[in-house]
Amino acid sequence: MSSLLEKIEHCRRLFADQESRVKEAQGVEELRQLFLGRKKGHLTLLFEELKTLSPEEKKSAGRTLNELKAEIQNRLAELEQKFQTPVRQKLIDDLTLPGRQLYWGAPHPITLFQREIEKIFTAMGFSVEEGPEIETDYYNFEALNFPPHHPARDSWDTLYINDQLLLRTHTSPVQIRVMKKKKPPLRIIIPGKVFRRETPDPTHLPMFYQVEGLVVDKGITFAHLKGTLEFFIKALFGEKIKLRFRPSFFPFTEPSAEVDIECIVCGGQDPACRVCGGSGWKEILGAGMVDPQVFKNVNIDPEVYSGWAFGLGIDRTAMFAFQIPEIRHFYENDLRFLRQFNRR
Amino acid sequence: MKISYAWLKEYVNLNLDPEELAGCLNQIGLMVETVVKYEDDTVCEIETYANRPDTLGHLGVARELATLLGLSLKTRNWPLRELSRTTSELIDINILDPQLCPRYCGLVVKGVKVGPSPDWLKKRLEAVGLRPINNVVDISNYVCFSLGQPIHTFDLSKLRGNKIKIRKARKGETIRTLEGETVELDPEMLVIADETTPVAIAGVIGGEESGITESTTDVFIESANFNPVSIRLTAKKLGLSTDASYRFERGADPNAAPTAAVMAASLLCEFGGRVSKGLLDVYPAPRKPRAVSLRLRRINELLGLEIEPEFVVKTLTGLGLKLREQSPQIWTVEIPSFRVDLEREADLVEEVARFYGYDLIPSVMTPVKSFELPVDRRRERVWRLKEVLFHHGFDEVINFSFADPEKEQLWQTGCRPIQLQNPISARLSTLRTSLLPGLVENAVWNFNREAEGVHIFEVGNIYYWEQEETHRENLNLGILTTGLRSGRTWKEGEMETDFFVLKGAVEDICNYLGYEQISFEPIEHPFFESGQALKVLVRNEPVGYLGLLNRNLARSYDLERPAFCAELDLNELLRKQPRVFSFQPVPRYPGTSRDLSFLVDDSLTYQEIQQHLQKLNIPCLENFLIYDRFQGKTLPPGKVSFSVRFYFRHSTRTLQTEEVDRAMQEITSQLKSTLKIQLR
Repeated sequence: MSSLLEKIEHCRRLFADQESRVKEAQGVEELRQLFLGRKKGHLTLLFEELKTLSPEEKKSAGRTLNELKAEIQNRLAELEQKFQTPVRQKLIDDLTLPGRQLYWGAPHPITLFQREIEKIFTAMGFSVEEGPEIETDYYNFEALNFPPHHPARDSWDTLYINDQLLLRTHTSPVQIRVMKKKKPPLRIIIPGKVFRRETPDPTHLPMFYQVEGLVVDKGITFAHLKGTLEFFIKALFGEKIKLRFRPSFFPFTEPSAEVDIECIVCGGQDPACRVCGGSGWKEILGAGMVDPQVFKNVNIDPEVYSGWAFGLGIDRTAMFAFQIPEIRHFYENDLRFLRQFNRR
Repeated sequence: MKISYAWLKEYVNLNLDPEELAGCLNQIGLMVETVVKYEDDTVCEIETYANRPDTLGHLGVARELATLLGLSLKTRNWPLRELSRTTSELIDINILDPQLCPRYCGLVVKGVKVGPSPDWLKKRLEAVGLRPINNVVDISNYVCFSLGQPIHTFDLSKLRGNKIKIRKARKGETIRTLEGETVELDPEMLVIADETTPVAIAGVIGGEESGITESTTDVFIESANFNPVSIRLTAKKLGLSTDASYRFERGADPNAAPTAAVMAASLLCEFGGRVSKGLLDVYPAPRKPRAVSLRLRRINELLGLEIEPEFVVKTLTGLGLKLREQSPQIWTVEIPSFRVDLEREADLVEEVARFYGYDLIPSVMTPVKSFELPVDRRRERVWRLKEVLFHHGFDEVINFSFADPEKEQLWQTGCRPIQLQNPISARLSTLRTSLLPGLVENAVWNFNREAEGVHIFEVGNIYYWEQEETHRENLNLGILTTGLRSGRTWKEGEMETDFFVLKGAVEDICNYLGYEQISFEPIEHPFFESGQALKVLVRNEPVGYLGLLNRNLARSYDLERPAFCAELDLNELLRKQPRVFSFQPVPRYPGTSRDLSFLVDDSLTYQEIQQHLQKLNIPCLENFLIYDRFQGKTLPPGKVSFSVRFYFRHSTRTLQTEEVDRAMQEITSQLKSTLKIQLR
């Protein structure tokens, strides 16, 4: 009968032999079972046999056997590591199949355009104000220097709720509300919904969006109005856009101006251009120096302070910028229209 | 208004090609909309402003161009062939209401041969889009479009008693106008009457009976000035806008009245007419010219320029203003009566700027002296909320604030709607009291256009009467989801939307905006199917509701698919203080989790179980997740099974298995007493 030590030596060789044949993680596990299995593992059996020996024999054989066990455990761990790394996955057959895409909802183009405008002005230190959509005649007209029964009101055709209340025809009443509440210096923009008594057609609707701007401080000039609005328009339409200021009339500004930008659709080349009518220019906003009467109405001394204001139709400007032919698209809410705007 | 180049040349020697003409007009704010050729003439359609009645005649436009180009206006002579009789012998003019008629001039022209106008006159009128009628009418128009002063011609023989009375209409009086319509007059309207009856509605339209006909020989020329507000109210009330009322309501020049009368009389002399001696000019309270003080310093301050005083003097003088230097570079400026718009210094600054050229004013950035941080973060939160919804795949819509009262009524919103006094149409005659009707219409519109799913939201105001006479506009959020959530792909089948798609979005709005303590309570609401709706509460205060759209409502819009909708009151929600963000240390020791499945009575809801679990007081219990709910035949009747995963962690050391075992025992015993759970 061979001694236990010989058996241990045999077992060591057997492990070395078996080990070299292992090619994958499963083989490592089989190897572990073969040598360290709880009932029939080679090493387990040898430990059983160890119990039958005399104390002296047990001592030396036990040490050798424990050394082998540690060695085998180390090797198994190493092998495990070796085969573990690429946990074998199923290969993908066709990598050209589309990935899992997430649908993001689209902001309404008016929201989108309004935010672009707000960003330009807030970068210039403007803050954003809001005001009510249901207004009184006083805020919508009188305080803005529209005399009662003046034909100037014709351009602001109004939807009335009763003799006192109306739907604001422009965002300008918020100028009055802010100037009554806050002291200059003021540097604000006012975006919002406005209403006119207009029968719907491709370029008119009874509801649309405007953004209003107002600066009040000591020493504000028409040159400041020009410089700031030029920057704004270039920020919105690109550095190269041409623009012109021409005199106009608004009851709440004096001097008043209108700003035209070069037609980006035809560049002034098409005499039948649907957008500019062949003039090469597109009216984009109205502006001017705050009328002294408006200042008086809000108890700001026009001899001390001056200011400029502007108003711009967001819908019309967005139509021009995105070349949308009909204003109606904005409020039909056709998803085929709206969903284009989450790509901008 | 149409402006003829040839007509302008009657007043100023211009030598411009059409492009230069348009350029000049644009620079001074008479925006040219179109330029067309009419025979050998050029006609510009220009935009005019409500405060510039002086530009409603060729003379006024010529004056602007002459000033711009440094030319002088031509003076025109209007010779008269006079009768021996004076005007007052032939007609008696009596202004009974001088408030409404400050000035009235009259002349009689006898022996006029009514007939077609000569070619030169027809051409002038046709160029600006007027139809030639006969020489007398055409001359009226020619005068009006030359001077901007409307005149009216009567057949003298039709004026009873040879009297003209300018008075208010009497109750019950009517007049048949030149347009052939019989109009009822009301006592607020000013009329021109003869001895007995109205013969014209002052400043608006003449009467048919006293009008010029083929058989007229003696003409009475009226050239008057009327109160703008009175004319406007009358024209509005009658729904009439004429060339005359358009000019008078903007404020005609009282001093143009005599000139226009003489000009018309002189032209009528060419058709055999002889003019009564002496203009009859009733002007009880002549208007004093306005004077405005102007400082060069102020011009420069407002425009941001250094302008030469000579330029100011030259420009304003050219426009007919009289300047007197008060002290160096300060003038007293007398305003001519035809410039109703010039009242203050700022108005004169605009005149200087217009002729200086807006394009020549420098461009300077507005200096910033102070910055203000937004006080109110509401706008930011609204955008954040929209971002959450975009992320959930909802598209944003914007609907009209108007609603169809018939449709709106079906919704029983419980809000008293605000009606418009002068709506565009019946369908747009009230203001919406909910955002959901609009969203449902959007869903139908899109289903009719090949959409398979509609997931949309709107942020906007609703409007209602809060109390008698107290209106309210409230910012709301409406959400709607219906149809397919996602289409078929190679990886997944198509997916129908459901209630929890909607609820998840609502919960995430609160999560990502930091509004804590969101809870739900079942409600019955007319928008929703019975038992299929929840009220949303934040900190126990209601902020809105969500549920399955009522079938009958859906049907009334022809919406066939089930739709899940929510409406939140954003005023209420955004008023709440969101959780203040503070950084929490990242755990340094590993946590462990244990699952527990149990049966409870099926009357218990998820929310009740969750609330009980939140009340558990167990050391090291970090969190829990109810990950399964199951009800079925394998369970005892009246029971439902829930599975919860509990997460444990100790902040300063690794947890021992025994501690977790003890915690689980404690949880189980607590839940046995509170929820009467049975372990599975």
